[in-house]
Amino acid sequence: MTNPVSPAVVQAFYQAYATRDAARMESLVVDHVRWTIIGPSQVLPFCGEHHGKAAVLKLFTEIFPGIIQFRSFEPEVLLIDGDRAAAYLKLTGYLHKSSRIITYHCGQFIRFENDKVVCYSSIIDSFDAAEQALGHYIDPMHEPVPAAIDPQKAVVEL
Amino acid sequence: MAITHQFVLDFLHVRQAGEAEKLEPFLDDNVDWLISGPVDFLPHCGHRKGKAAVIDMVCRIAPDTFEARNFEIKHLLVQGNYAATMSRFHATHTATKRTISYRSAHFMRFRSDRLIWFRGLIDSLSATEQFMGHELDLEHTPDVISIAPDGDLIEV
Repeated sequence: MTNPVSPAVVQAFYQAYATRDAARMESLVVDHVRWTIIGPSQVLPFCGEHHGKAAVLKLFTEIFPGIIQFRSFEPEVLLIDGDRAAAYLKLTGYLHKSSRIITYHCGQFIRFENDKVVCYSSIIDSFDAAEQALGHYIDPMHEPVPAAIDPQKAVVEL
Repeated sequence: MAITHQFVLDFLHVRQAGEAEKLEPFLDDNVDWLISGPVDFLPHCGHRKGKAAVIDMVCRIAPDTFEARNFEIKHLLVQGNYAATMSRFHATHTATKRTISYRSAHFMRFRSDRLIWFRGLIDSLSATEQFMGHELDLEHTPDVISIAPDGDLIEV
């Protein structure tokens, strides 16, 4: 374990996060930061792995703003323990593509080294978030039909 | 009195074992327990209120659903009466014998060394796909079931 993170640093991180302030975030993450958003990347394309400071800053300057406008950010639980922080919070956002409002709870786990984020992981109820983003129910009983192969176009390379 | 990391690990161990007599002392009578997810397909998800309902879920429903349950803990934080974990859950789906593995987060509040509040978040889309044994077709819009076919009137 590295040095404990101070509440002031965690507060600064969440202020930058809540306001999507890339300039402030830039000073709060290490160059090799690993940022993982566990969720339905098919419908919420900001989900997935983002490695390195440049990728994380792009998330704040381009990817988030292009997909969702966050409307509210309500932390319900915040813990700080050693070099880590965790939060349980409720997010509400407006999806530009579908003009839908979605609301979901999110669990975030952050590890700091020398007061900078080295690892961020978050998780959401991905089934519910996907249904909200799609605007319709997902039927788990419905099995997708495999795409048919056109024998005229199919080329098998041996 | 604040809880400790060891106390939380003991609770998680008892929860994983699913033994009612060992779990009972960890639960407040009015424990409020919620794991988010589609309850029609993931029976261990949903809202449980009260000790008996939580014991039933942990010690009957979850073991009936999964065999060889194991939480691989990646993060464990404790502060005051709160605890949080992020884990990868591994198990065998009892009905199909499929291997199941998904990520989950738990947030817990204790009062007088007993769990009073529990919130679980799981990667429920991935979990449902693994339960069903196929990818979910997100583009497929289910047919809306008409509750008034043929123009019948419904009296409210």
